Amino acid sequence: MSDGIPPQTTVAEYVGAFQAKEKRKQRSWRMAALQLVLLVIVGVVAVSLIGELDPRVRRGADLLRSLLVMGRAPAWVGVSLLLLIPALLLMLLIQVIPLFLVWWERKVAAHMQVRLGPMAVGGFHGWAQTIADAIKLFLKEIIEPDGVDKWVFRLAPMIVFVPSYLAFAPLPFGVGLVGYSFDIGLLYVLAVSGLSTVGVLMAGWGSANKFSILGGLRAAAQIVSFEIPRVLSVVPVVMWAGTLSLTGIWEAQAQPLGGWFPKWFIFYPVIGQISFLIYIITSIAETNRVPFDVPEAESELVAGFHTEYGGMKFAIFFMSEYAYVFAGSLLGAVLFLGGGSPLFPALGFIPSWAWFLGKTLALVFIFLWARWTFPRFRVDRVMDLCWKVFLPWTLINIFLTGVVLLWRGL
Amino acid sequence: MSEAIIFTLLAAVVVIPALLVVTLKNVFHSALWLIVSLTGIGGLYVMLAADFLFAVQLLVYAGGIMVVLLFVILLSGKPEDWKVAQVNDKAVAAFLFSLFFVFIIATTLFGWQIKTTLQEPRLTTGPLGQLLMNQMVLPFEAISLVLLVSLVGALLFTVKKKS
Repeated sequence: MSDGIPPQTTVAEYVGAFQAKEKRKQRSWRMAALQLVLLVIVGVVAVSLIGELDPRVRRGADLLRSLLVMGRAPAWVGVSLLLLIPALLLMLLIQVIPLFLVWWERKVAAHMQVRLGPMAVGGFHGWAQTIADAIKLFLKEIIEPDGVDKWVFRLAPMIVFVPSYLAFAPLPFGVGLVGYSFDIGLLYVLAVSGLSTVGVLMAGWGSANKFSILGGLRAAAQIVSFEIPRVLSVVPVVMWAGTLSLTGIWEAQAQPLGGWFPKWFIFYPVIGQISFLIYIITSIAETNRVPFDVPEAESELVAGFHTEYGGMKFAIFFMSEYAYVFAGSLLGAVLFLGGGSPLFPALGFIPSWAWFLGKTLALVFIFLWARWTFPRFRVDRVMDLCWKVFLPWTLINIFLTGVVLLWRGL
Repeated sequence: MSEAIIFTLLAAVVVIPALLVVTLKNVFHSALWLIVSLTGIGGLYVMLAADFLFAVQLLVYAGGIMVVLLFVILLSGKPEDWKVAQVNDKAVAAFLFSLFFVFIIATTLFGWQIKTTLQEPRLTTGPLGQLLMNQMVLPFEAISLVLLVSLVGALLFTVKKKS
């Protein structure tokens, strides 16, 4: 018996053992809550001691520039270095994020199913499990089945991955922490992330496999359909903020209402909540995750469009999915949760990048939560949901926003 | 100078895939090259400081229309259809017509008076929205109506009649 109750006992002994177990459980709950509170306090203190990263980044850039001037380097070296360094940092980030998110997803899944998940590798709660998995995937032989369309098959993972990296360029991570800020940031992210569908279709067709081609078709239909309500659901935000620049949208939500209430878009009555809900649900559908995972439904299509991919090629598909989860959450944090602005002005001592990280991870948790609580939609129901529920509601939402804006005199 | 190099590269990205689109035998490969070509056109828009047009080009053409096109190819083609002959008996007429088309474009382009200004390129999104909603509202609505009619027409053709 795993719960410590020996077999063949009297009723009184059984009740006693049961009560002792309940007491243990309560104590462990209390300990866990205490640990969590301590963790949050330590985290907040550590993060506020680090402070804003913006001045340091600026100082580093200045140092680099003055070094280049001292070394008499031509101007283009400085310009390209200052563009290359953020790009390389983003590249590193996009490779570390999936490692963390996969580990987190496995822990969340395990705890939702009352088990522990990875515990062995690395010591503390199996934190090194995904690193070990990644090394395993690196070492695997790359197998190409007979009859594949060679270059289409080989290029497909790259075509899926590269847009997910490009989509990170205008996403802000805090005050002054942005890869490359430009005026149409929001539209750019939505446009570039749509390009991954091409790679999915290439994978489906190039594999020369019925499961793959069905998965590719389903993925294309789903992503193209859900992109429309997704783009339309952020239109009210753009109408309120009056700009497509992500930094601008965040700054539009920075000033608290009446001096204390956060002016985040999610708190705008009715319009904000509808937008946010549709945005989150369509983002989950865009990343092909449960409950919208019909393109890779295990029980129907083996693994959908990446059935024939193994080793690192499979890992690249996986990385791009998690990169999109993170990018979608970051975008949601900027659009609806006020980006790096604090919940209440009194909490302003926590730097903006920590707010960003916290809000993004909270939204990532919604993605994980949905995945491990909902069953899969049927293929035709997915399309019905998109065209008959989300599309009309986004249009009504835009109309309502327009009415309110006109009533307020723009 | 660097602009000329970038323009040449982008023009190559537009033109070479466009040639491949019409010469390759495999329809699926042609469609993929068409995506490259359309993305290159997006790059040209960036060079012209038309950033909104660039994003729309990616969103609508490369990400939307081309995916639907690939979708149609995957759904409609039998494998032997991917290797059909590319030239039929109207090849000569088509060649002459395209020559005529090239002639028209060339005369138009060479007769063009190009003005250069030293003005900074302005942001395009805001003015574009103002233009569409103020001066151009009638054409804008007319186009919307045409698109709506085509949508309804497509529905009319595809929805099965209940007998």
